[in-house]
Amino acid sequence: MLDKTTRINLLYDHYGGLLTERQRRFVELHYVEDLSLGEIAEHFSISRQAVHDHLKRAIEQLEEYESVLGLVAKEDRRRRLVRRISEEVESLPLEEARKACLRRLIDQLAEDGEEAESGARAHPEWREGDRRHV
Amino acid sequence: MVKIRLKRMGAKKRPFYRVVVADSRSPRDGRFIEEIGTYDPLSDPAKIHIDTEKALKWLQNGAQPSDTARSLLRKAGVLRQFHELRAARSKR
Repeated sequence: MLDKTTRINLLYDHYGGLLTERQRRFVELHYVEDLSLGEIAEHFSISRQAVHDHLKRAIEQLEEYESVLGLVAKEDRRRRLVRRISEEVESLPLEEARKACLRRLIDQLAEDGEEAESGARAHPEWREGDRRHV
Repeated sequence: MVKIRLKRMGAKKRPFYRVVVADSRSPRDGRFIEEIGTYDPLSDPAKIHIDTEKALKWLQNGAQPSDTARSLLRKAGVLRQFHELRAARSKR
Protein backbone atom coordinates (compact mmCIF):
# COMPACT_ATOMS: atom_id res chain seq x y z
CA MET A 1 0.00 0.00 0.00
CA LEU A 2 2.72 2.46 0.97
CA ASP A 3 4.86 1.30 -1.93
CA LYS A 4 1.98 1.88 -4.29
CA THR A 5 1.45 5.40 -2.96
CA THR A 6 5.11 6.21 -3.42
CA ARG A 7 5.20 4.72 -6.90
CA ILE A 8 2.20 6.73 -8.01
CA ASN A 9 3.63 9.89 -6.50
CA LEU A 10 6.82 9.31 -8.48
CA LEU A 11 4.91 8.54 -11.69
CA TYR A 12 2.82 11.64 -11.11
CA ASP A 13 5.94 13.78 -10.57
CA HIS A 14 7.27 12.68 -13.94
CA TYR A 15 4.16 12.42 -16.08
CA GLY A 16 1.43 14.30 -14.22
CA GLY A 17 1.58 17.08 -16.80
CA LEU A 18 0.27 14.65 -19.41
CA LEU A 19 -2.96 13.96 -17.54
CA THR A 20 -6.08 16.05 -17.88
CA GLU A 21 -6.80 18.73 -15.31
CA ARG A 22 -9.55 16.62 -13.79
CA GLN A 23 -7.37 13.52 -13.58
CA ARG A 24 -4.65 15.54 -11.87
CA ARG A 25 -7.10 16.72 -9.25
CA PHE A 26 -8.20 13.22 -8.38
CA VAL A 27 -4.64 11.89 -8.26
CA GLU A 28 -3.54 14.81 -6.08
CA LEU A 29 -6.40 14.46 -3.66
CA HIS A 30 -5.97 10.72 -3.25
CA TYR A 31 -2.21 10.23 -3.46
CA VAL A 32 -0.79 13.60 -2.41
CA GLU A 33 -3.39 14.71 0.13
CA ASP A 34 -4.38 11.17 1.13
CA LEU A 35 -8.13 11.73 0.99
CA SER A 36 -10.24 8.59 0.76
CA LEU A 37 -12.30 7.80 -2.33
CA GLY A 38 -15.39 8.48 -0.26
CA GLU A 39 -14.18 11.93 0.75
CA ILE A 40 -13.33 12.84 -2.83
CA ALA A 41 -16.68 11.53 -4.07
CA GLU A 42 -18.49 13.66 -1.53
CA HIS A 43 -16.50 16.73 -2.46
CA PHE A 44 -17.37 16.44 -6.15
CA SER A 45 -20.86 15.07 -5.58
CA ILE A 46 -20.14 11.99 -7.68
CA SER A 47 -20.15 8.31 -6.78
CA ARG A 48 -17.26 6.57 -5.11
CA GLN A 49 -17.18 4.23 -8.10
CA ALA A 50 -16.74 7.18 -10.47
CA VAL A 51 -13.76 8.43 -8.46
CA HIS A 52 -12.32 4.94 -8.53
CA ASP A 53 -12.74 4.72 -12.32
CA HIS A 54 -11.08 8.11 -12.89
CA LEU A 55 -8.13 7.14 -10.72
CA LYS A 56 -7.80 3.72 -12.32
CA ARG A 57 -7.70 5.24 -15.78
CA ALA A 58 -5.21 7.93 -14.70
CA ILE A 59 -2.89 5.35 -13.16
CA GLU A 60 -3.09 3.14 -16.23
CA GLN A 61 -2.03 6.12 -18.28
CA LEU A 62 0.85 6.97 -15.97
CA GLU A 63 2.06 3.36 -16.10
CA GLU A 64 1.77 3.43 -19.88
CA TYR A 65 4.01 6.50 -20.09
CA GLU A 66 6.49 4.81 -17.79
CA SER A 67 6.54 1.67 -19.89
CA VAL A 68 7.53 3.75 -22.90
CA LEU A 69 9.81 6.35 -21.31
CA GLY A 70 11.06 4.60 -18.15
CA LEU A 71 11.99 7.84 -16.36
CA VAL A 72 11.06 6.59 -12.90
CA ALA A 73 13.18 3.48 -13.30
CA LYS A 74 16.05 5.59 -14.58
CA GLU A 75 15.74 7.93 -11.61
CA ASP A 76 15.77 4.96 -9.27
CA ARG A 77 18.95 3.59 -10.81
CA ARG A 78 20.61 6.97 -10.49
CA ARG A 79 19.59 7.25 -6.85
CA ARG A 80 21.11 3.87 -6.02
CA LEU A 81 24.31 4.70 -7.85
CA VAL A 82 24.62 8.07 -6.16
CA ARG A 83 24.18 6.40 -2.79
CA ARG A 84 26.95 3.92 -3.54
CA ILE A 85 29.31 6.62 -4.78
CA SER A 86 28.63 8.65 -1.61
CA GLU A 87 29.54 5.71 0.55
CA GLU A 88 32.74 5.16 -1.41
CA VAL A 89 33.73 8.82 -1.11
CA GLU A 90 33.22 8.82 2.65
CA SER A 91 35.58 5.87 3.01
CA LEU A 92 38.36 7.50 0.96
CA PRO A 93 41.41 8.92 2.77
CA LEU A 94 40.86 12.45 1.44
CA GLU A 95 41.11 15.90 3.00
CA GLU A 96 37.78 17.22 4.26
CA ALA A 97 37.75 20.06 1.73
CA ARG A 98 38.05 17.67 -1.19
CA LYS A 99 35.37 15.42 0.22
CA ALA A 100 33.09 18.43 0.57
CA CYS A 101 33.70 19.28 -3.07
CA LEU A 102 32.90 15.72 -4.15
CA ARG A 103 29.76 15.72 -2.02
CA ARG A 104 28.58 18.86 -3.74
CA LEU A 105 29.10 17.30 -7.16
CA ILE A 106 27.35 14.12 -6.08
CA ASP A 107 24.41 16.19 -4.83
CA GLN A 108 24.18 17.80 -8.24
CA LEU A 109 24.23 14.41 -9.89
CA ALA A 110 21.43 13.33 -7.57
CA GLU A 111 19.48 16.37 -8.75
CA ASP A 112 19.84 15.40 -12.39
CA GLY A 113 22.60 17.93 -12.99
CA GLU A 114 20.68 20.86 -11.55
CA GLU A 115 21.98 22.85 -8.63
CA ALA A 116 21.12 21.01 -5.45
CA GLU A 117 17.81 22.01 -3.83
CA SER A 118 16.46 23.65 -6.98
CA GLY A 119 13.89 20.87 -7.21
CA ALA A 120 12.55 21.86 -3.84
CA ARG A 121 12.26 25.49 -4.86
CA ALA A 122 10.46 24.61 -8.05
CA HIS A 123 7.70 22.98 -6.06
CA PRO A 124 6.87 25.18 -3.10
CA GLU A 125 3.34 23.82 -3.18
CA TRP A 126 4.48 20.71 -1.40
CA ARG A 127 5.94 22.59 1.45
CA GLU A 128 4.15 23.23 4.64
CA GLY A 129 1.55 25.90 5.17
CA ASP A 130 0.36 26.38 1.64
CA ARG A 131 -3.21 26.96 0.63
CA ARG A 132 -4.44 25.35 -2.51
CA HIS A 133 -7.98 25.12 -3.67
CA VAL A 134 -9.80 22.18 -5.06
CA MET B 1 -14.11 13.85 12.51
CA VAL B 2 -10.41 13.79 13.19
CA LYS B 3 -8.24 11.90 10.70
CA ILE B 4 -4.70 10.65 10.63
CA ARG B 5 -3.28 11.15 7.16
CA LEU B 6 -0.08 10.74 5.26
CA LYS B 7 0.60 14.15 3.84
CA ARG B 8 3.05 14.33 1.02
CA MET B 9 5.90 16.80 1.32
CA GLY B 10 9.32 16.90 -0.26
CA ALA B 11 10.63 18.08 -3.58
CA LYS B 12 9.48 16.90 -6.96
CA LYS B 13 10.67 13.35 -7.66
CA ARG B 14 11.59 12.91 -4.00
CA PRO B 15 8.46 12.13 -2.06
CA PHE B 16 8.58 12.37 1.68
CA TYR B 17 5.57 12.22 3.97
CA ARG B 18 4.42 13.59 7.26
CA VAL B 19 1.93 11.71 9.34
CA VAL B 20 -0.51 14.37 10.46
CA VAL B 21 -3.65 14.62 12.51
CA ALA B 22 -6.17 16.79 10.70
CA ASP B 23 -9.83 17.69 10.79
CA SER B 24 -11.66 15.91 7.98
CA ARG B 25 -13.66 19.04 7.21
CA SER B 26 -10.66 21.16 6.24
CA PRO B 27 -8.51 18.69 4.37
CA ARG B 28 -7.20 20.96 1.67
CA ASP B 29 -6.04 24.13 3.33
CA GLY B 30 -2.74 22.62 4.42
CA ARG B 31 -3.45 23.03 8.09
CA PHE B 32 -3.23 20.17 10.50
CA ILE B 33 -3.65 19.79 14.21
CA GLU B 34 -0.46 17.95 14.99
CA GLU B 35 2.37 16.13 13.28
CA ILE B 36 2.94 12.70 14.76
CA GLY B 37 5.55 11.25 12.46
CA THR B 38 7.43 11.12 9.18
CA TYR B 39 8.03 8.57 6.46
CA ASP B 40 10.91 8.68 4.01
CA PRO B 41 10.36 5.97 1.41
CA LEU B 42 13.42 6.69 -0.70
CA SER B 43 16.10 6.15 1.89
CA ASP B 44 17.38 2.62 2.04
CA PRO B 45 15.83 1.10 4.09
CA ALA B 46 12.77 3.37 4.28
CA LYS B 47 12.79 5.51 7.41
CA ILE B 48 9.70 5.49 9.57
CA HIS B 49 9.46 7.73 12.59
CA ILE B 50 6.32 7.75 14.68
CA ASP B 51 5.80 9.51 17.98
CA THR B 52 4.11 6.53 19.61
CA GLU B 53 2.80 8.45 22.57
CA LYS B 54 1.05 11.05 20.42
CA ALA B 55 -0.22 8.43 17.97
CA LEU B 56 -1.76 6.35 20.77
CA LYS B 57 -3.32 9.44 22.29
CA TRP B 58 -5.06 10.31 19.02
CA LEU B 59 -6.14 6.75 18.30
CA GLN B 60 -7.65 6.51 21.76
CA ASN B 61 -9.51 9.74 21.12
CA GLY B 62 -11.07 8.14 18.06
CA ALA B 63 -8.95 9.62 15.26
CA GLN B 64 -9.42 7.58 12.09
CA PRO B 65 -6.25 6.70 10.16
CA SER B 66 -6.42 6.62 6.35
CA ASP B 67 -5.51 3.29 4.74
CA THR B 68 -1.95 4.41 4.11
CA ALA B 69 -1.53 5.95 7.57
CA ARG B 70 -2.92 2.75 9.04
CA SER B 71 -0.38 0.59 7.25
CA LEU B 72 2.43 2.86 8.41
CA LEU B 73 1.21 2.74 12.00
CA ARG B 74 1.04 -1.03 11.71
CA LYS B 75 4.62 -1.19 10.43
CA ALA B 76 5.77 0.99 13.30
CA GLY B 77 4.06 -1.36 15.78
CA VAL B 78 1.71 1.36 17.03
CA LEU B 79 -1.49 -0.46 16.09
CA ARG B 80 -0.47 -3.53 18.02
CA GLN B 81 0.15 -1.42 21.12
CA PHE B 82 -3.20 0.27 20.61
CA HIS B 83 -5.02 -3.08 20.44
CA GLU B 84 -3.17 -4.39 23.47
CA LEU B 85 -4.12 -1.30 25.45
CA ARG B 86 -7.74 -1.70 24.44
CA ALA B 87 -7.77 -5.40 25.30
CA ALA B 88 -6.23 -4.66 28.70
CA ARG B 89 -8.84 -2.02 29.38
CA SER B 90 -11.83 -4.17 28.44
CA LYS B 91 -10.62 -6.93 30.79
CA ARG B 92 -10.83 -4.61 33.75
